[in-house]
Amino acid sequence: MIAGNNDTRTTTHKVVLPFYIYAALSFLAAAILLFTSSQVTGHYFQPHTLAITHAMTLGWGTMIILGTSHQLLPVLIEGKLYSNTLAYLSFAFAAVGIPLLVYAFYTFNMRWPAQYGAMLINAAIVCYLINVSASIAKCKHENVQSVFVFTAAIWLFITTAIGALLVYNFTYNILPRDSLHYLSLHAHAGIAGWFLLLVTGVGSRLIPMFLISKYDNKKLLWRIYALINLGLIAFVLLFVYSAKPVFYLFSALFIAAGLSLFVFYCYKAHQQRIRKRVDGQMKISLLSVLMMIAPLICLLLIVLLLLLSSVNGSLILAYGFSIFFGWLTAIILGMTFKTLPFIVWNKVYHAKAGLGKTPSPGDLFSKKIFNGMAISYVVGFGCFLIGILSADDIAIKTGAILLFCCAFLYNLNVFKILFHKQNSK
Amino acid sequence: MNVSTNHSVKCMFALAGLHDVIDPEVGLNVADMGLIYQLNFDEEARQVNCLMTLSTRFCPMGESIVDGVTNNLKINFPDSDVLVELTFDPPWRYEMISEEGRNFLNR
Repeated sequence: MIAGNNDTRTTTHKVVLPFYIYAALSFLAAAILLFTSSQVTGHYFQPHTLAITHAMTLGWGTMIILGTSHQLLPVLIEGKLYSNTLAYLSFAFAAVGIPLLVYAFYTFNMRWPAQYGAMLINAAIVCYLINVSASIAKCKHENVQSVFVFTAAIWLFITTAIGALLVYNFTYNILPRDSLHYLSLHAHAGIAGWFLLLVTGVGSRLIPMFLISKYDNKKLLWRIYALINLGLIAFVLLFVYSAKPVFYLFSALFIAAGLSLFVFYCYKAHQQRIRKRVDGQMKISLLSVLMMIAPLICLLLIVLLLLLSSVNGSLILAYGFSIFFGWLTAIILGMTFKTLPFIVWNKVYHAKAGLGKTPSPGDLFSKKIFNGMAISYVVGFGCFLIGILSADDIAIKTGAILLFCCAFLYNLNVFKILFHKQNSK
Repeated sequence: MNVSTNHSVKCMFALAGLHDVIDPEVGLNVADMGLIYQLNFDEEARQVNCLMTLSTRFCPMGESIVDGVTNNLKINFPDSDVLVELTFDPPWRYEMISEEGRNFLNR
């Protein structure tokens, strides 16, 4: 059967690029806040820590994932994105809402900036959820990865809806207890429900695709999906029924089992790859899969310590840091340079395809800057983590400087790609 | 390469040209990737018909690859109209990569 050549048309770069630009600038802003803030140790419920966390989770992680998923959803579902307008609206609402919320946390003004920020972010997520649902509903090809993306979008909506309730609860007391009590529910719906499900779902398609691997195991992916969701639902139920800390181990073990299977999936994909050479972008993406283990160890330690006595605040901080600046940042650093150069290459060289030599997408960014970024990231992350755990200011400041260097070099390369002009070899 | 054709000499000439059309992600040309299924030449109508596939439906690079094949065939057959059509039946599989392509990827 001959397909229409419309089957080659994917989401336009005009939809995707604003998300990439916004995310890159947010990463830089979060790295500056990390460097300048004096409140990165001690309890996690502090204005600066909350501001940095939300700049990282929403401005950096969520914005780039929203952009990438608008581009990759058609590949996963083998169908078109339902609406570009909804994607633009999603960007516009989030682009205004995120700085309002981050500013509100930084100054701890939980009135109008936080409230408007939370509502705008929720509006953005509703647009995204409608777009994802309608795109999947329209397509004829059902697959496990699209179920991952859809479920992740639902968890994202749950996360932001709880977040908005927490913001309003500061002023209007609409929840039975104070907002701090519900923070772990909000955080874990976001971490495991949104980020983990989406990264495992999309990664399970992209990692074998970029490695050119023959490995495919849908049954294993369904098991990963079930384990992560069971872990999350167990967590929510335990939270609602105020269960004893020991029971949270079950939730953590479900998620740990799901993650272990995903690490195994990536290992098999790597083992059965056709292309022998693995580029720097894929190496850092594969490293991020292993970096999932760090927060998991922290989580198991937290639960175990809760059983024995009380938890040291720095361990909770290390847990959060190893998720947002560790695993999540590593996969974004790697995947940005696997996806963005192709989007820009397509825009710049589309009309010249097949008419002579053109640079490859990999030539659109500097490998030296990329390597500098990767080194400053790995060393900076290690220093900062050691600094948090040992409450060592010098290690924290060294780590923060290196992470700022990483964010700066990342931005340099991203803008080098974005401003690339046609250049035939 | 297993390309069906009604004119083996012109087909070889076309495939030689298509070695210049690179799948940007893989870095391998579309001929060795096994993306070209059929090349037929209608001499009376002066038309080149190419039936090809993509490694993934809605591949972000798909439009560029199809345009690359069209542009390349137009250069090599300037007196003919070029019609490139897509099929996903059968879908592309890794086994369709030629031996030369595998050697290139194994480097």
